[in-house]
Amino acid sequence: MPDGETSGVKETPAADAAASALAYLTEMSPDLRGGAILGPEGAVLAASDFPNRWREDVAALLDVADRAGEEPVEQVHIATEQGEVFALRHAGLAAVAVSERFALASLMFFDMRSILRDLAAGGDGRGLDAA
Amino acid sequence: MPPKPHRVLLDRVSGYADEAAAYMRRRRVSRQPFARLYYPGGRAGDHAGDSLAGGELFVAAGRLIEVAGKRPKP
Repeated sequence: MPDGETSGVKETPAADAAASALAYLTEMSPDLRGGAILGPEGAVLAASDFPNRWREDVAALLDVADRAGEEPVEQVHIATEQGEVFALRHAGLAAVAVSERFALASLMFFDMRSILRDLAAGGDGRGLDAA
Repeated sequence: MPPKPHRVLLDRVSGYADEAAAYMRRRRVSRQPFARLYYPGGRAGDHAGDSLAGGELFVAAGRLIEVAGKRPKP
């Protein structure tokens, strides 16, 4: 994953930790329809369903987003009539979430960043609970 | 006679709620589809739907919305 920040992740999080993180994100975000967490090589670590579709479609989104500017993107927020898409890269990991329209972007990105930060540190994405 | 303290608190809370409701109404009316990219360092850029990059971003987002499906009814 070309985000230039792969050094922050100690090792690729286990699938069960990523699944726990995704479940936590779903708990925290009532507007969430689905999401996925991807590892440094773009492999799906956890997805709400259809992991192969998520892998392909997230790769396509991030590829388009990277080509749209002069450097790799850190966050993507696309709002359409049908819903909203959020993508965030952190420490070599990526989280993608699809929500209902008018979800609060700042909260969504905060939650996504929290789980990725915890996963990158070796946690299960629920690090804020312990704080 | 001064108002009871809980009345002051209730008035204040309902005032904030009214403000928030009005803000959300304005937001729903004025908000149009957009594609916004953020870069390290805080830089951000918008891409219009009729631009090449904007069109591709909306198509890619549409695929993700499709795979996520509808939110199950509670």
